[in-house]
Parts: sequence; structure tokens; C-alpha cells
Amino acid sequence: MIKEKNSMKRFGYQLFFTGPTMITFTIALLIPFAYGFYLTLMKMASPTSPLEFSGIDNYVTAIQDKEFWASMWLTVKYMAGTVLFVNVLGFVLAFLVTSNIRSQNFFRTAYFTPNLIGGLVLGYIWQFVFVQSLPAIGEKWGIDFLRLGWLGDEKLAFWALVIVTIWQSAGYMMIIFIAGLISVPKDIIEASTIDGANGWQRMVKMILPSMVPSFVVTVFLTLKNAFMVYDINFSLTEGGPYGSTTMVSMHVVNKAFLETNYGVGQAEAIVLFIIVASVTGLQVYFSKKMEVEA
Amino acid sequence: MRKKFVSTLLVLFSVAMAACGGASQEPATDSTDATNQPDEGKVTIIITNGKGEIAAQNEQAAKDFMAANPDIIVEQHTGAVGDTLSILDKLSASGETVTLAMMEPNAVVEKYKDFGTDLSGEKWVNETNDAVKNAKGEIVGFPFSIEGFGLVYNKQVVEKAIGGAFDPFSINTRDKLKGLLDQIKASGVKYPVAYQTEAWSVSNHYSSQFLNQANDPNTIIAQLKEGQFDLAGNAVWNGYYDTLDLLSSQEYNKYGERPLGKYYDDAHVSVGKGESALLFNGNWAFDSLKAVAGENFGLMPVPVDNNPDNPLNNKIAAGPTNIYVINKEATPAQQEAAKKYLNWLVYEKAGQDYLVNKSQVISAFKNNPYTVTNPLGAVIQDAIKQGKTMPFTTNYIVPGDWNTILGPEVQKYIVKKQSREELAKAIESYFTSKK
Repeated sequence: MIKEKNSMKRFGYQLFFTGPTMITFTIALLIPFAYGFYLTLMKMASPTSPLEFSGIDNYVTAIQDKEFWASMWLTVKYMAGTVLFVNVLGFVLAFLVTSNIRSQNFFRTAYFTPNLIGGLVLGYIWQFVFVQSLPAIGEKWGIDFLRLGWLGDEKLAFWALVIVTIWQSAGYMMIIFIAGLISVPKDIIEASTIDGANGWQRMVKMILPSMVPSFVVTVFLTLKNAFMVYDINFSLTEGGPYGSTTMVSMHVVNKAFLETNYGVGQAEAIVLFIIVASVTGLQVYFSKKMEVEA
Repeated sequence: MRKKFVSTLLVLFSVAMAACGGASQEPATDSTDATNQPDEGKVTIIITNGKGEIAAQNEQAAKDFMAANPDIIVEQHTGAVGDTLSILDKLSASGETVTLAMMEPNAVVEKYKDFGTDLSGEKWVNETNDAVKNAKGEIVGFPFSIEGFGLVYNKQVVEKAIGGAFDPFSINTRDKLKGLLDQIKASGVKYPVAYQTEAWSVSNHYSSQFLNQANDPNTIIAQLKEGQFDLAGNAVWNGYYDTLDLLSSQEYNKYGERPLGKYYDDAHVSVGKGESALLFNGNWAFDSLKAVAGENFGLMPVPVDNNPDNPLNNKIAAGPTNIYVINKEATPAQQEAAKKYLNWLVYEKAGQDYLVNKSQVISAFKNNPYTVTNPLGAVIQDAIKQGKTMPFTTNYIVPGDWNTILGPEVQKYIVKKQSREELAKAIESYFTSKK
């Protein structure tokens, strides 16, 4: 009897604390997701026209869409670039600003600030840098690879996207790494110093293994952000030149809303979801296994 | 005590949720009340607009119209500039019945082909040449705004180069255009052209121009869909790309060396400042140009070949770019109210003033006495009066598709990643896939 009362009470508490989030999550994510999935099974010319059941037609078209897979492959390359550089740079920055250099608080704030600027604004600012500032510098100092705007060249436009992403998110990852670095127990570092480990050995053998939880989070975030990138892509290159920097999210949006192919666009979004969910799921699962107890 | 607390919270929760559920339904019942109760004597119509830049003017127009027609309530909804999902789609998806919707002319034969009511019997049909028909030949589109494109030039630079007054219609062959560019170059302008060759511009606008070789561009579209129009062997189609080669060449174009890198702002600043003389764009380019150098701009036709008598070399492409369509799902009373609103735009002084003076829209109606202040728009208005316009070919294609599917193909041609034959094939196979 008492037990039952307790479980009721516990349920009440659970509802109290998770209820509001659950309601928002359901309204903003679960219901649209389910409805979106339902729509992929329908044929729909425009939101005003009646729905017709069409089975898996939309998925067949989506899977056969060569441009979709091309943009997916481009996104994978972009992901490889950003995940690597953002994490390396974020870690290096975190290491520098925790090593007791002067005015480290100033640097922490400075590196974090880009993350506070919205992706769209940031894209337009950098568009100006790549179209106006860098060519002006290149012209003045005779640096040939800066003389022409980067956004007009397939490869350079891609790297422009990677650079801006690194600039934006390295500071955010730095904050997570700082938290990780501070919580590395001092005693094990001290013990290893007494045992005669040099700086490099301490880094590889002691600090990095105990930082794995931070890496799980940062790699997850950078992976997810890379797959879902749209704002920077839209404001910086708009998929150009000649469609060569259209990332997969932009392709989906174009398919659905510009080419008014709602069903196929939504089906591609579901395929993208499955890929992102499995990649990040596997990443978290395997990197969790690398965690060590301090 | 604690248990009581939790249960109170739970009760509060369910009340709150019920309230939320109730609240979301209320406006819906309200609006149906308003439309279904004729005894109240008022009709509510929802108007959706695409042109985000005139949102404030639209609101004012609704107020002025309601003052003159107290039995009608007008709700104006205006989509933001650059919004990907149209306000009409948003409202329809949330269950509202939009009475009067602004859309692209092409939408009445494609995306919203079953949306509009027949307006052929309306009086204003006689005041315009630009009413838009659906596939059945019924007039369903009320032309709201006229726009046109061509070569936008800086008057001062051009007049300095030729040493006198310049008649834009004197450049009626490609060789004359080349001669003009050389003259401008000789006058000390390093790059006479600053054309940014963005996807929407080179594709939706520039690359659709060849459709004007037929009196009715739809005939060519139909042939293309059947796979029976040979682009690579078509003189006009090739002619426009010969002119594009000239406009995007390293010799004349500021961006010739690397043509595709987001130069819209830079191009308009260059022409505005007079560092370059011309670019390919439409009357809307004035919004970017006027900030730099006032009203010193003009518009000329794009020459396609070297025959000065070819009408394509002597006319500016201009036509309706936004049309109003009345929803046939709206109640008869709402449809009547919407028709009244359209007549108000055409015949009432306040409506004419809103359209041309307040919103700076080029009117499609001959009886509208006002002229826009935009000099490029004024050129188009003059050209309409003198019969020097030809159809706005972008209205015959699907702009969304051309922007994302064919835009990159044309751009690949500009940077020589593919040949003209390959571009022709890409356009042909796009059309056959859309049959």
C-alpha cells in the first residue's frame, strides 16, 4: 500500500519535472515529425491541393535523385573538414587559455564571441570579407590567390564555408574543453610528473584519456551541425558557384520549396534524418566505450 | 501536504492544457462566424501579398478601401522579403481560406492551376493587355505589377563615352553593342560591364529570352516538352549566348576572370558609381543603384543578332510579375468583395495612387494617370505606350526550377565547364522530364 502511494508520488514528480519539456517536445518535434512522415507517403502538388496516397513513390524518387547524393557526399567532406579542425582548434584554444597566460579571461570571451553571432549575419559578414576585403588585400600586396573573390571558385568556396564554420564554432567547443580540462584531477597529473612523465606524455597518457567525455559531446555537436548546416551555406555561397556548394539541407529545402516538390523533399529529409541519427548514434556509442574512470 | 501540492499542480496543468487547446480553436470559430452570418452584414476577406517591401502600403490600402466600403473587412497578409514558403501556403496549410492571393503569373498554369475563378467578365479586362490566362484560356490573373529587364546603364558614363545624348534604342545589333563597349573602354572605363551572372539572373531572366522568337512563347515551351525543339540549332537561342559571351568576357566584364562569386552588391555599386557602365538586370535594380547615384540610369534592349530590323533587338521584355487571383473556394460574398477591391485598384483615385505613387509599382492599366519615379520603370512605361515591349519570358517558365536546376547549368557554360551543346541538352532534357 505504502509502496503504491510512493510510486504514484514518484510519477507525480516525474510528470512535474519532465512534463513541460515533454509537452513542448511533442508539439514542436514528435507531432510534426510523425505528420511529416505521413506526408511522404502522399502525393501533393501544393499545400492547397488534396492529398493522394502514393506509397513509397517519393522515397524511390528521392533515392534515385543523383543531386541529393552529390550534395550528401559534399556534406560528408564538409563534415570531415569541420569536425577535425573545429575540435583540434577548440582543444588547442582551451589548452592555451587554461595554461595561466595573462588576460586569459579576455581571450576566452574573444574566442567565444563569434558563436553569439547568428549564422545568417555571419555569412553575410564573411561574404563581404571574401568578395571585397581579401581581393583588396590581394590586389594591394600582389597575393595572387586572394586577388579574385573566393566564392567564385568551386574549391575555394567550399573552403570558405569550412573556414567560417571553424571560426564560428571553435570557440563554443573551447568552452566545453575548458570544463573538461579543469576537471582533470590534479593528483594524477602530479603523480605522473613525479613518475617522470614529460609534457607530451602527460598530454597523451593522462589528459586526453580523461577528456574523452568532452570529446564525445564536441564531436557529436560538430557532426550534427555539419550535417544540418543551412544558414551559413545560404548566406555565404547560396549553393554556388554553379550549385557546387549545395549542402544536403539546402538541397532538401530547394527541392521542397523552390521546385515545389514537397513529397520528394520531405522524403529526402527523412532519409537525411536516418543517416544523421545513425552516424551520430554510432559515434556516441563507440566513443562512450573509450571513456575511462579517473 | 506534499501530495496535495502535487495533485493541485496536476490539476493546474490539465486546466492549462485545456485552455491552450481551447484558445487555439477560438479564432477559427470566430472567423467562420464572421463569414457565415450574413445578418451581420460584413464580409471578411483575406488578401495575401508577395511583395514584402510594400507591406506598410498594403495595410494603408486596406484601411482606405474599408473606409470606402464599410461592409467589407480586409485582412492584409504580406510575406517577408526572401521568405521561402509563401504566405498563401502558410495560411492555407493552417486551414484559412485566402480570398485574394498574389502569386507569380506562372503559378496559374502550374502550382495553383485549380485555384482561381474566371475573371473574364470583369470590366478592367479592357484596360490592360497583361491579364493572365490559365491553361483553359480563362482570364484568372489580375496584373498587379509590371516589370521588365534589359541592359541597365549609367547615363553619365555612356554619354561621356559617346560624347552626347544617348538613345537606348539605337543599340539594335550585337556589333553596335560591342562598338559601344569599345567606346566606353576608350573613354577610360577599364571594365564597361559589371554583370554578376548569378543563377536567377542568367537563368530565369537571361536564358528565357529566346522564347520571344515566337509570338506566343507557350508554343516553344510545348515543343520543348515534346522534345521537338532543337536549341543547339536555333539561331536566336545561340544569338543570346553569343551576346552573353560578350557580356561575360574577360575583356569587358569586371568579373570576367572569375565570374560567379556573389557580386550583386559590387556590380550595382560599380555601375552606380560609374566605374562600370552597364549590367543586365530589371527595373528593380534601381533600388540598389539609387543609393549610389540618384536617377541617372536607363534601360536598353538586349541585342540578339546583327539584324537591326529584328524586333527582338528593338524591344524591352516587360510583363506582369505579380498577379492577384481570386480563390474559387471562397464564398460568393467574399469573391464579390475581392472583385470590388480589384476594381478599386483600377478605377478609384485612392487605389491608383496606392499602386503607382505610394508603392512605386508600374501599373498594367492604361487608365492609370500616374508615373513611377524610378527612371528604369519610367522607361518601361514609355515603352509600353510606344508598343516597344515584348513578353516577360520569365512568366512562361517555372522560376524555382530554373533557379536551382538550370541556373547551375548556365553558370557551368559561363565558366566553360561545359559546352553550349551540353547546355542545350541540359535544358532540353529538363523539359522532356517535366512533360
